[in-house]
Amino acid sequence: MRGSATALATALVFVAASTAAGAERILVFAAASLILPLTEIARAYEVKTGHRVRISFAASSALARQINAGAPADLYLSANLQWMNWLEARGKIDKASKSDLAGNRLVLVAPAGSLPAMDRFSGPTVIRILKGHRLAIADPAHVPAGMYAKQALTKFASWPRISAHLAPTVNVRAALALVERRAVPLGIVYASDAFNNRAVDVLYRFASNSHAPIRYVAAAVIGNGGSAAIGFLIELTGRKSKRTFKKFDFSAD
Amino acid sequence: MWELSATEAEAIGLSLKVALWAVLVSLPLGIFAAWLLARRRFYGHALLNGIIHLPLVLPPVVLGYLLLVLLGRQGMLGAFLFDSFGITVAFTWKGAAIASGVMAFPLLVRAIRLSYENVDPRLEAAARTLGAGRIRVFRTITLPLIAPGILAGGILAFARSLGEFGATITFVSNIPGETRTLPLAIFSQVQTPGGEDAAIRLVVISAAIALTALIASEFLARRVNWGQGG
Amino acid sequence: MLQLDIRHQAGDFVLDAAFETESGSITAIFGQSGAGKTTLINMIAGLTKPSQGYIISDGHTLFHSEQGIDVPAERRRIGYVFQEGRLFPHMDVRRNLLYGYRKNAVLDFAQITDLLDLGPMLQRRPGSLSGGERQRVAIGRALLSNPNLLLMDEPLASIDAQRRGEILPFIERLRDELRVTILYVSHAVEEVIRLADTMVILSAGQVAAVGEVEELMSRLDLFPLTGRFEAGAVLAATCQGYDAEYGLAELAFAGGTLRVAGAEQAIGTEVRVHIRARDVSLMLGRPEMTSVLNVFEGTVEIAETGSPQVDVLIDIGSPLIARITRKSMHDLNIRPGVKLHALVKAVAIDRRSLTGGAARERPQD
Repeated sequence: MRGSATALATALVFVAASTAAGAERILVFAAASLILPLTEIARAYEVKTGHRVRISFAASSALARQINAGAPADLYLSANLQWMNWLEARGKIDKASKSDLAGNRLVLVAPAGSLPAMDRFSGPTVIRILKGHRLAIADPAHVPAGMYAKQALTKFASWPRISAHLAPTVNVRAALALVERRAVPLGIVYASDAFNNRAVDVLYRFASNSHAPIRYVAAAVIGNGGSAAIGFLIELTGRKSKRTFKKFDFSAD
Repeated sequence: MWELSATEAEAIGLSLKVALWAVLVSLPLGIFAAWLLARRRFYGHALLNGIIHLPLVLPPVVLGYLLLVLLGRQGMLGAFLFDSFGITVAFTWKGAAIASGVMAFPLLVRAIRLSYENVDPRLEAAARTLGAGRIRVFRTITLPLIAPGILAGGILAFARSLGEFGATITFVSNIPGETRTLPLAIFSQVQTPGGEDAAIRLVVISAAIALTALIASEFLARRVNWGQGG
Repeated sequence: MLQLDIRHQAGDFVLDAAFETESGSITAIFGQSGAGKTTLINMIAGLTKPSQGYIISDGHTLFHSEQGIDVPAERRRIGYVFQEGRLFPHMDVRRNLLYGYRKNAVLDFAQITDLLDLGPMLQRRPGSLSGGERQRVAIGRALLSNPNLLLMDEPLASIDAQRRGEILPFIERLRDELRVTILYVSHAVEEVIRLADTMVILSAGQVAAVGEVEELMSRLDLFPLTGRFEAGAVLAATCQGYDAEYGLAELAFAGGTLRVAGAEQAIGTEVRVHIRARDVSLMLGRPEMTSVLNVFEGTVEIAETGSPQVDVLIDIGSPLIARITRKSMHDLNIRPGVKLHALVKAVAIDRRSLTGGAARERPQD
């Protein structure tokens, strides 16, 4: 009996200590492609403030639906404006807190060492490579990265033919994984996904005007988001964070 | 509300095809594995049992990833299959059937093994004294007596295959008409704005098929059950 | 003819047996539970492999460890009737019977069905049959595979006493009408006495004795193995007359004449008679005015020691065994060489002649 009483007391002290001095817990729902920069920013923030930051990475579409259904997220970081607007229309977002975080670009990738880079995008070349194979892409029906990719391919008049050779995945990181695993010869992912990735080669960078602007937008969720969450949001838009985003090949504002 | 679109009908047909093939191909292997586990003692018996049951306890996404490593175009087996026979399973309904088959395999083996253990090996010995060789013993004695287990296990595996999601989407992704089975179609509809109605339709149909399969399995197993007296 | 010499080790149990049997007869493999009887016939059938030795049936080598021969069970042409029958539950009686069918000049389906009275059961499933009916089907099924040798492993053990009485006649018919060579495993002395010509006594994996039933049953030294309660002399007798007025049959045997109430037989019928030691009393002087009909004069050959009862072997022209108290033995000073009279109170006729019938026991006064 004495042993469990001691254990209980210790636990209580621990909990008290972590909530002392206003140490709070922040829950962030973030687009899958933000995983590298956001993890770094969050760790630094934890060290600086003592608050605990937990992040759930998934497709922006999935996260938006979860927040709509009442998930207890404090902040929502979306890979495009459309899903942010969708949530805002349902009254889940604090409009005043909406902030631009960074941009991104689309790239065509291939398993490392498999194909040479292209200076222009050639639909027929891509079709030829894809014969009997597939192009890995986040599901264009609902995942932002896939929607941007579809826009870009449509701009190059290649969408109708390439669309028969797609391997649609649950989010953009899964598409990246397929290319890394050499399961597919080509994939379209964000520049940030390919950055510093030894398993893939970037064959072509899509121009920014090939698609709607890729903007990462953050906002606080109504009903949650205490002072610590707002603090983190401010940190995310700060200069240090911008440097971190650039470091991982996200484009600046 | 209850009109099925062409893509929805396609998802249903694909699911039935994938589940059927998954079970048909797993059956011989399942019967063999069940026999090994029920009737033979050997080093590694517990290990084999554990491996067969892994799909029950591992996250489906992990299984999907393992299948990708093994059977993807560049995978250990996948490269061999393509180079030697020109066969590709990645991103095809065959891959979806394999994913389903792997996930449902432990259920199949369990049901058949149980049936084996209920077959008195002394009946097989009696058949041998009457001049039946091993194949005839299996065909005329063992197989009819494990039939209820095979039936029940097969239908259970079929129902499980219908619901397979994680391994499928990881291994063969979500390709309409090729790998977009019912669960993946439901998932897609749920993600898409305005897709709720379609999602509910598909959910109801999935549940109806699975329920029918499970009830049929129960009913058939009972009808086919022989008494083991005498 | 079966020739066998095998050794087998399974865990702590060692089986070491060697004997030969004749064709066209019933040989009993007798012993208590755990003696190794079932293991032995499983080896003859080919279901278990001996560690070493040989098994030869009618000149065909079924197993020979040194020559590396091990004929699989399905090719040995040995029929096996199991203790629990082991009928196939998913087939009706007819399909069970025909499972191992091989064409046979002597026996066909109709004859076996007739012999074992299986006609009414043919469409039924084993699950709906009684124990006795199942065993009859099991016997028929084994016979229809036209075996060179029939093994029966305690086929009546799981049958109640009344049903047993129904089936024994069928087995007797196998022996008498079909002349099938049978190896009959049992731990029940009455069955052995009734059915077998020769017996092999197994005890703890070793062969204690091999020989004709009458001879072995009369040996005092084997009593611990043949079962104390039922122990007693077994002898062959011929019916030589019938006293119609008093209803007494007269059976002649080596020691004289036995008079048995009610057991009417045709003259010349050969029967086997079992006189249990506990049914024999001894008297030093000549018995007078006694109700016991069967009194024989003889000499004591062996007097056992034991307490509180002892077995005494007496030669009355044929061996006879009496069981008396040790006190009586001392009081009457019964020792080898002493002449006395044996009074036989009850006689069991345990084996019928070729014309068939049921066994009955009659007290004789």
